[in-house]
Amino acid sequence: MADRVLKVNAFTTFDLLDGHVEGHGFTEAAFATLNVRTAREDPEEITLELELDNTELESVPPHADRVTLSAADARTLASELTDAANRVAAAEDE
Amino acid sequence: MPTKVERWKDEAYGMEIRDHLLQFAEEGWDAIPDDEHDAWFERFKWWGLYHQRKGQESYFMMRIGTPMGRMTPEQLRTVGEVAAEYATGPVENPEFGDAYADFTTRQSIQLHWITVEDIADIWDELESVGLSTIQACGDSWRNIVGSPVAGRDADELIDVWPIVQELHETFKGNDLYANLPRKWKVAMTGDRRGSGQGDINDLAFEPATKVIDGDDVAGFNVNVGGGLARKEPRFARDIDVFCRPENATDVAAGLSALFRDYGDREDRFNARIKFLVDEWGPEKVRSVLQEEYVDYELPTAGEGLRDEYDYNAGRADAAGDYIGVHEQHDGQHFVGLSVLVGRMAADDVIELADLAEDYGSEMIGLTQRQNVIVGDVADADLDAFLAEDLLDEHSPEPHPFMRGSIACTGTEYCSLSIVETKNRMVRYGRWLRDNVPVPEGVEDFHIHLSGCTASCAQPQIADISLRGMKTRKDGDAVEAFDVGLGGGLGETPTFADWVKMRVPADEVPGYIQNLLETYEDAREGPAESFRDFVADRDEDELAALAESEETSYEDPYLGNTKMTWYPYAEDEDMSASPAPTDGQGNSLPSDD
Repeated sequence: MADRVLKVNAFTTFDLLDGHVEGHGFTEAAFATLNVRTAREDPEEITLELELDNTELESVPPHADRVTLSAADARTLASELTDAANRVAAAEDE
Repeated sequence: MPTKVERWKDEAYGMEIRDHLLQFAEEGWDAIPDDEHDAWFERFKWWGLYHQRKGQESYFMMRIGTPMGRMTPEQLRTVGEVAAEYATGPVENPEFGDAYADFTTRQSIQLHWITVEDIADIWDELESVGLSTIQACGDSWRNIVGSPVAGRDADELIDVWPIVQELHETFKGNDLYANLPRKWKVAMTGDRRGSGQGDINDLAFEPATKVIDGDDVAGFNVNVGGGLARKEPRFARDIDVFCRPENATDVAAGLSALFRDYGDREDRFNARIKFLVDEWGPEKVRSVLQEEYVDYELPTAGEGLRDEYDYNAGRADAAGDYIGVHEQHDGQHFVGLSVLVGRMAADDVIELADLAEDYGSEMIGLTQRQNVIVGDVADADLDAFLAEDLLDEHSPEPHPFMRGSIACTGTEYCSLSIVETKNRMVRYGRWLRDNVPVPEGVEDFHIHLSGCTASCAQPQIADISLRGMKTRKDGDAVEAFDVGLGGGLGETPTFADWVKMRVPADEVPGYIQNLLETYEDAREGPAESFRDFVADRDEDELAALAESEETSYEDPYLGNTKMTWYPYAEDEDMSASPAPTDGQGNSLPSDD
């Protein structure tokens, strides 16, 4: 069976999230790791990487997904996440 | 563009770091400027010091490199005395007490809770008996590994000890090779066991013979570019070079200079020579070595001895370690003792040194399986030696589950790990010993437990590989392990197949129990090793071999130990940490 694609250590952003993969005619759930990466030196972009545990998936081969974000993209994402987190927190308080 | 680490190294690195460390030792922890911590901690590695993890500021791990794990009893006693005096922290470890030494998978020694204020005194003590922390870490020639019983082992082609000493003396403190793009790990094997584990090193000398000018010459085949870390495991590649023993230093100099000049200094993740071998291929490594770095014609590879290798090979017909009583060339014996997870109490270290000296031993050896060997026990003394009380704890006849266990440092001290390791492996070993029948014929069963994907416990080359992860259980995040099966070295090195992910740490013993029951029931017979049993099965079959389950095993470290300042403290909360301290154990103000 394939090993993980992403390395996982104490610097990984999230080592335990709930993930889903959905395609035409299939949906599967698996634990996931999600990591934010930038180059150590003079970073020019941000990489967001996601991997679902391949042992739980039959519909897709073992793999990880990466998207690259500019600093502005990352701020937009962070802002939307903050807004969303605020909405969830507000709902919990009600 | 060179990395930040490369710039730090350009400013100060190598031998000169010693002077800086001695200055800091005199002035104290506070003299290291806060905004220069990262740079200095990177440089300190060259002299064998790693800063411990968050919550343990001002404390260091100190690594002492012992070539091929060899020491005299006097040197071992000094290690024990230094551990007892300096390697004590604010809180005791519940399994190992307040002072201990760790024997590592690269035959070095690690001490923890070292403060910078004590460095000068510790160096004085170590160096007075010929021990050193030089280049134990950092981007340079690391400790050279190989069989500690070279020259004593009755089963070897070449005694490599004189060659390893020459390599050690040539490449330690040598400015030409002091600043490499990344670490440089060298293994030299002269025996028929494959005990150097060269396959997982940057540079491996493997025993071989070759007919040259009509003479049968004993020497080495040269392999390059092995390593396990970074989720990119590689076995060292054959570059088709045979090396006479007298040429070993030249070939090693050539290859480490090639790495120095052509290795990637712009991306540390891509810096190890395994990636250069990927990019170039072994043929180009050979041709560049020949054309630019050696001034004689390199012979092509000779006839290796791989088919005889049994060290960590998972064979049913031979033990894969040095445990037990073995014959030496000279009619005396060396005795391999089990040190569970490689950690020995400082008092035991001193007692072992005294014992070895009493019996006339001139050689103590640390093995890559985190165990220890006492050499030179006379035939007439053997029974008395085996009856010594210390051997009840560190046995030459350990239970198979205690014998084969390796664990890395883990969240106790390490910045990378995400799970507790050594104490847990001790508890696993005891529970397995007390509850799981050993399949008939199994003498040693290798379980390697690593805290993350950095692979310091060599998890890819074990019967059972455990690698730290997290999972959710009853709604809570708990420490867990990915599980691999069937890895090992030997004639045909193989990395483990990963078959389970995120098995909760408290269900791992139950998984192993069920797995071994299946193995014993389904194997063809005791002659079919566990490794062969795994190799004969496909992915789906391996995944279905066993399920994890809770048992009577209890795990006190299930919670998120990386979030504690020390996993075994009564108040483990990060805010309860006394660190940083002033060298006397008194807390200092911290900006963190």
